[in-house]
Amino acid sequence: MTYDGSSKAKGVKIYVDGQLWDWNIEQDRLSESIRTPKTLLIGSRHPSSRLLGTVDEVAVFSRALSLSEVETLSKQLPITAILAVAPEKRTAEQQQQLRTYYLEQEDAEYIALIKQKQELKAEETELLKPLTTVMMMSDMAKPRDTFILARGAYDAPTEHKVQPGTPAILPPMPKEAPQNRLGLAQWLFQSDHPLTARVAVNRYWQMLFGTGFVTTPEDFGSQGAFPSHPQLLDWLAVDFRESGWDVKRLLKQIVMSATYRQTSDASRETYLQDPSNRLLARGARFRLQGEFVRDSALEVSGLLNTKMGGPGVKPYQPPGLWKEVGLGGNPVFVQDHGEKLYRRSLYTYWKRSAPPPSMQIFDAPTREKCTIRRPRTNTPLQALVTMNDVQYVEAARHLAERMLKEGGSTKEEQVAYAFLLATGREPRSSEREVLLELYDQSLKHYQANAKAAEELMSVGESPRDKKLNVTEQAAWTVVANMIFNLDETLTRE
Amino acid sequence: MNPFEEYQRQLTRRQLLSRSRGCLGAAALASLLGDVPKLSAASQTGSEQGRLQGLPHFAPKAKRVIYLFMAGGPSHIDLFDYKPVLKEIHGKELPESVRKGQRLTGMTSGQKSFPCVAPMFNFKRYGERGTWINSDILPHTASIADDIAIIRTMNTEAINHDPAITYINTGTQQLGRPSFGAWLSYGLGSPNKDLPAYVVMISVGNAPGQALYSRLWSSGNLPSRHQGVQFRSAGDPVLFLTDPKGLDRGLRRKMLDGLAKLNAEKAQLSGDPEIEARISQYEMAYRMQTSVPGLMDLSGETQATFEMYGPDSQKKGTFAANCILARRMAERGVPFIQLFQRGWDQHGSLPTAIRNNCNKVDQPAAALVKDLKQRGLLDDTVVIFGGEFGRTIYSQGTLTKDNHGRDHHGRCFSTWVAGGGFKPGIDYGETDDHCYNIVKDPVHINDLNASVLHCLGIDHNRFTVKYQGLDLKLTGVDGANVVKGLLS
Repeated sequence: MTYDGSSKAKGVKIYVDGQLWDWNIEQDRLSESIRTPKTLLIGSRHPSSRLLGTVDEVAVFSRALSLSEVETLSKQLPITAILAVAPEKRTAEQQQQLRTYYLEQEDAEYIALIKQKQELKAEETELLKPLTTVMMMSDMAKPRDTFILARGAYDAPTEHKVQPGTPAILPPMPKEAPQNRLGLAQWLFQSDHPLTARVAVNRYWQMLFGTGFVTTPEDFGSQGAFPSHPQLLDWLAVDFRESGWDVKRLLKQIVMSATYRQTSDASRETYLQDPSNRLLARGARFRLQGEFVRDSALEVSGLLNTKMGGPGVKPYQPPGLWKEVGLGGNPVFVQDHGEKLYRRSLYTYWKRSAPPPSMQIFDAPTREKCTIRRPRTNTPLQALVTMNDVQYVEAARHLAERMLKEGGSTKEEQVAYAFLLATGREPRSSEREVLLELYDQSLKHYQANAKAAEELMSVGESPRDKKLNVTEQAAWTVVANMIFNLDETLTRE
Repeated sequence: MNPFEEYQRQLTRRQLLSRSRGCLGAAALASLLGDVPKLSAASQTGSEQGRLQGLPHFAPKAKRVIYLFMAGGPSHIDLFDYKPVLKEIHGKELPESVRKGQRLTGMTSGQKSFPCVAPMFNFKRYGERGTWINSDILPHTASIADDIAIIRTMNTEAINHDPAITYINTGTQQLGRPSFGAWLSYGLGSPNKDLPAYVVMISVGNAPGQALYSRLWSSGNLPSRHQGVQFRSAGDPVLFLTDPKGLDRGLRRKMLDGLAKLNAEKAQLSGDPEIEARISQYEMAYRMQTSVPGLMDLSGETQATFEMYGPDSQKKGTFAANCILARRMAERGVPFIQLFQRGWDQHGSLPTAIRNNCNKVDQPAAALVKDLKQRGLLDDTVVIFGGEFGRTIYSQGTLTKDNHGRDHHGRCFSTWVAGGGFKPGIDYGETDDHCYNIVKDPVHINDLNASVLHCLGIDHNRFTVKYQGLDLKLTGVDGANVVKGLLS
């Protein structure tokens, strides 16, 4: 068989005994280059499905052979054999074979043209190759009939055929809207749609206050919760829609409100009267979600890489996590290095059967199903992450360096600087005392254990600043580790 | 309209009732509808160590479960469900009168021929009742025949791994529901403050088989602190357990003392009770740093114990070593311990593959039962040994003199259970002569889960959580039965 590398079915030709074989094309939907680092397998789709039979005289050419070349190969007629025949006695086929042989082997111009054609083809393939692949669904040319399945079993369709449409209790789709996803989008954003704006506003409110007006953001139906402030929800929803769905404007409006800017400090009694702050009598106070915990540690330490976009990255994770769940132990986790270790958690590669543990421990869902409301737990495993995960220890190291380099000349100034970076305020004198006491104890410890200081400063792949005193660095790292574990650092208030 | 009036009007009778009764459902509802963080704070500092009010429903026989999960679907035909008729029909086509048009997986539905295969092993009778067990590859299991109940009529609707393994672990084929262990953590909490209520261990050292998913031990829509905590043989036994290099225990203690002081000061000022919960979580983390390595350290086990659990038992991470750990966790009160052993998905080369797997599990699983028994723990510990489905009587691929495969089969399969209120030394249920359909006493996977809950003192129908209009429970919505015949 020959293949011109076009990624199209018609680019493939199959010959049987030198004759072009006629075949049906069932699928012709490849959209990318066929260039791949994968091994070419003969008589096998993958290592566990093999041809039951024998394969003989396999030869691979680095270009698509022409018809005449294939014929020559299949008929096993060496040119010398044809030349031995007197010219007038040669068949037309033999004449053609000789001509082609001459062109392909002797005619410099022809050979150059063929070479050029191949190069252009390769260039074209390279140019047409997409920069990145985005999987998307597209409608079939003719939609398949769909039936209600008895108790959801895939092999038990009923007679009941279903059609595109929206639930009867909601407004109907506009008459002129196409019965597809475009029509659905138009319907979602039509001005009398009762849900879209309310649901969206409720989610943004939840993001900022920890809880939505409707505590069941996934369910605005009869089983969902009633909104705590229905008029405010409605007002914000209408305003959001009329602003042209301007998310930034909505967020700005909320965060500039007096309600949002209230202090979250309140008496214990107040907390117990309204534990989940439904009445909004105080500012919201809740633990950051896992991604933000990591991002904020990276930002505070100065390690955060703010680059946007591009493929996902694989920062530190304990070894073996993919292997113990993957089919046949594959694929293999290969950790990234350098600046990729410090990108925002948004870009962390997500394997759903084994998600990044430091985020899963902080309640990040596996992403196997849609989750719009995460639990917010408080567990010992979370404490272990922020105390011991390489990512956080390394961040503490760098916060220590920042304290020494940018924090001022006295240790009081240095510790206040770190505290300010992490919590947004200066420490009170009672707090500074505790922080400095730990610093003094740690300093004493590392002065007596220089090797331990070196070890602590080698956690993580980034180098330490060797111009700084390693004992002081290590002692401040312990303090920084404590600062990263403060309730106030982990909590948005 | 005045929204308050509207609100009043929308309060239905059902909602009113559910608000006024102070029962489990209402408490669970409160925890799921917005009060999650505060409730967690309260329950974690409470004296009941997280036990849900009203539980157990009645006096429990068992306090804990050790689930030896054989992922991939072990062949019941080759292990426990002995049928002499198979020798006569070996190599003959599976009769339509047996299959009755029932669906097959896509892996064999295209096969032109379905030759029946008799086990290529010997079976002998064991125990007082003389139950048939594969004597070639399960000699140790045979030696505990009088301690276990062999259920031959386990069944499931699922025929592929992902839905089937999700089903048996969570009660439904749809993903996102809490797993068995998470339910127990939620309902019963843990008597041991230093260890999680739900521990998972995946065996290493054998060829990894079909995939597993962390959702199998996830808490689904229950608060995620109930998810299974994986204990590992390599690296940190619990992720991030070890202090960083160069930061020793003394310094960690000093750091935690300072941290507690600062957090306590904040708690005074802020009023948020969650801060106190955080202080206690850090203390528990510190205690885990000591208690977990002690638990995982097998150096104090006797030579006799290692000999009992077999040659693999001194190799970290093997099923045998994990069985010893399971016993140590049971001794420390961990309520749900789940071991995953992969590699039972024997579509091809079944005779050698099943022998390899039995070599790894037979002796340790039997030793675990004997060990629990001799330490007086079997009475209040349920041990379960089984997978998500069984395998077909017909050969997948070509049947040769000494080789064949078997496809998935959910209509019947075998699981054994021991201890904790299950009747010892019985066989339960009957399959037809072809090990294909159930003839008598079916035990749906949800029935087994309901029965295990029963042993733990829980009525599965009353152990519910309100979720999206559903009274969610471990045993699904189709109804499940406690199998009285299995209980002593």
